[in-house]
Amino acid sequence: MKRLWPNSLVGQLLLIVALMLLVAQGVNSFLLYRGAQNQNLLEASTSSVARIAFALERQSTYRRGEAGGANGGRRGTRLKYGPETAVTEDMKRLPELEARAGQAFSNMGIGFSDIRAAEVRRLTPDMTGHVIGSNRGKWRDNPINRSMGSRATPLETKGFVIVSARRDDGQWISVASAVRERNPMLVRTLLFQTIITYLLMLIPLVLLGRYISRPLKTLTATARSFQPGKTETLEEQGPPDTRELIRAFNDMSGRVSNMLNEKNVMLGAIGHDLRTPLAALRVRIENVDDDIEREKMVDGIEDMDQMLDDILSLARLGRSSEQSNPVDIRSMIETVVDEFTDLGHQVRYQRGEKQIATVRETLIRRALRNLIGNSVLYGKAADISVEKSGDKLMIIVDDDGPGIPDEKIDAMFEPFLRGEESRNRATGGSGLGLTLARAIARDHGGDIVLTNRPGGGLRATLSLPA
Amino acid sequence: MVNKTHILLVDDEASLREPLADYLIKQGYKVQQAADASLARSLLNAYDFDIILLDIMMPGEDGLSLCRFVTDKTDIPVIFISAKTEETERIIGLELGADDYVTKPFSPRELVARIKVILRRAEKGGSSNNGATGGAYQFSGWTLKCDKRSLIDADGVNVSLSTGEYQMLLALVSRAGQVLNRDQLLDITQGREAHAFDRAVDNQISRLRRKIEADPKNPEIIKTVWGGGYMLAGEVKSL
Repeated sequence: MKRLWPNSLVGQLLLIVALMLLVAQGVNSFLLYRGAQNQNLLEASTSSVARIAFALERQSTYRRGEAGGANGGRRGTRLKYGPETAVTEDMKRLPELEARAGQAFSNMGIGFSDIRAAEVRRLTPDMTGHVIGSNRGKWRDNPINRSMGSRATPLETKGFVIVSARRDDGQWISVASAVRERNPMLVRTLLFQTIITYLLMLIPLVLLGRYISRPLKTLTATARSFQPGKTETLEEQGPPDTRELIRAFNDMSGRVSNMLNEKNVMLGAIGHDLRTPLAALRVRIENVDDDIEREKMVDGIEDMDQMLDDILSLARLGRSSEQSNPVDIRSMIETVVDEFTDLGHQVRYQRGEKQIATVRETLIRRALRNLIGNSVLYGKAADISVEKSGDKLMIIVDDDGPGIPDEKIDAMFEPFLRGEESRNRATGGSGLGLTLARAIARDHGGDIVLTNRPGGGLRATLSLPA
Repeated sequence: MVNKTHILLVDDEASLREPLADYLIKQGYKVQQAADASLARSLLNAYDFDIILLDIMMPGEDGLSLCRFVTDKTDIPVIFISAKTEETERIIGLELGADDYVTKPFSPRELVARIKVILRRAEKGGSSNNGATGGAYQFSGWTLKCDKRSLIDADGVNVSLSTGEYQMLLALVSRAGQVLNRDQLLDITQGREAHAFDRAVDNQISRLRRKIEADPKNPEIIKTVWGGGYMLAGEVKSL
């Protein structure tokens, strides 16, 4: 059932309207059908009433002329005379027909003390001989009619209406008449009507739905790909509600962009205002005569500068002013690897096939530098390799260190958390290295994944869309 | 020393400007300080300077605008000192004709070393900068863009260079067909003399070859000249 339920607004709207139409059409059909049946009953009873009236008329004529007598008067009339009514208690009475028949008789000046009418599906044996129109059953036996072919089959008998009237003398005159399906086209008419209604209702609904849903779809897509400062304002279209929504969205995206701009300006100011005293301190340190002491101070300032840089980079990410360019990944890796080998670290990379990725190079270099930096910090050596799988380019950094317990791997990406429990500055970086590296990778549509290698050591995989 | 090198130091932050001036004076330079661009302009009118150290972010007229004025009107080399580390800032600064760019916090010793390099180049005359600021060179299917310090291959793919590799390549490309020995290359790229057994140049060259030569063992672009030197072979188009 859930599978059939459409996801879209228009789909749901259409489905509900279609279902409601179906129900309405069903009720309509039922009422029409009932009406048609009543009509059939009415027609059947009308002929019964006419027959009874006709018979009574003839009788009175005969009686006046004293010629026929009771039996002669009954001949050919099919009316049943008796002290009992043919409408028994177990039959379904039709009060409406009774009223109409009474009305008809009194219009013709015939008075009955009681009139009963009922509908039956099958006649009791004592009534089988008293059916009007039953001779039509022999229709086909007539050679003339037979020659007209089977298409002239009489309309099907759906049941009978028995009309019974009591004369003043207490005698009941009863006659049955066959009820026929007068309108076999009814089903087809209904079907046709339903289709027309569907077309008339649903086509405008589909158009209306698209009118509503198209701006919503655009809005969804824009919200999903929202980039502060870069997303253009959406055109206000669709019905007033939707326009209102789009206007609100535009306002909101404007506010978000402004907030981020303010954040950027503030970070720039912080960066500037912190670096200036740091630079002053760095200059003054040159006055320290003790070489060892001075070197330690310099290291401290460089650490602070690096940390400041990491924080600012992380905060500015996604709004980098650097352009993306296709970059030969091999030479980029070599450049970073050379930085480490120049410092005496063991980092190995064997240049392979040319691989190109479109990246902001200084950022990706930085991410890779952070990964290799971790490797040589926790292990003795790092091995870099490149793999291409599908539309992903993977730069793999393997180290021979102790690895990381699996349950702690996710925590490694949290800011200011290092593999070592101690926050000893001598062994760790700013604590932002992996956080920043992964943020950079994700900003490029890639990712960084850490896994423990089966043979020991940690594997960091930097994947990029190629 | 009769003729001390005269430095104009422009920075609005007295906390940095004053100790830096002291340090430079200790190193044997003559230093004038200016807290803003207008003071710097009047000092420029009053004295002859050999080099200007210029902060970018200053209240009032900023360093970029002052730099444009200086490079337009005079030959005085400019070193930017800025807390901004975004790559675009550096590029804009160099495009304006500044000779170098150091970011705060910097090592004063390194600053002095850079001052020396720039002054030595200026003394030798010609382009005080290593190659052009802005502009580009084309050689053997490669394009070296000076404004962005990027090397692009025939397919438009960037090939990454370290700062040292870039300097080395620029030195060779801008002097194509000229044989440069290790001392000359070190002097051009780093402003220092070669030590005995200095492998720095050979190291850079072999890394460069790995990145740009089809077969680094049989180099076609950066040729080794017998007798101890390197030369860029082939035609170079300056754009």
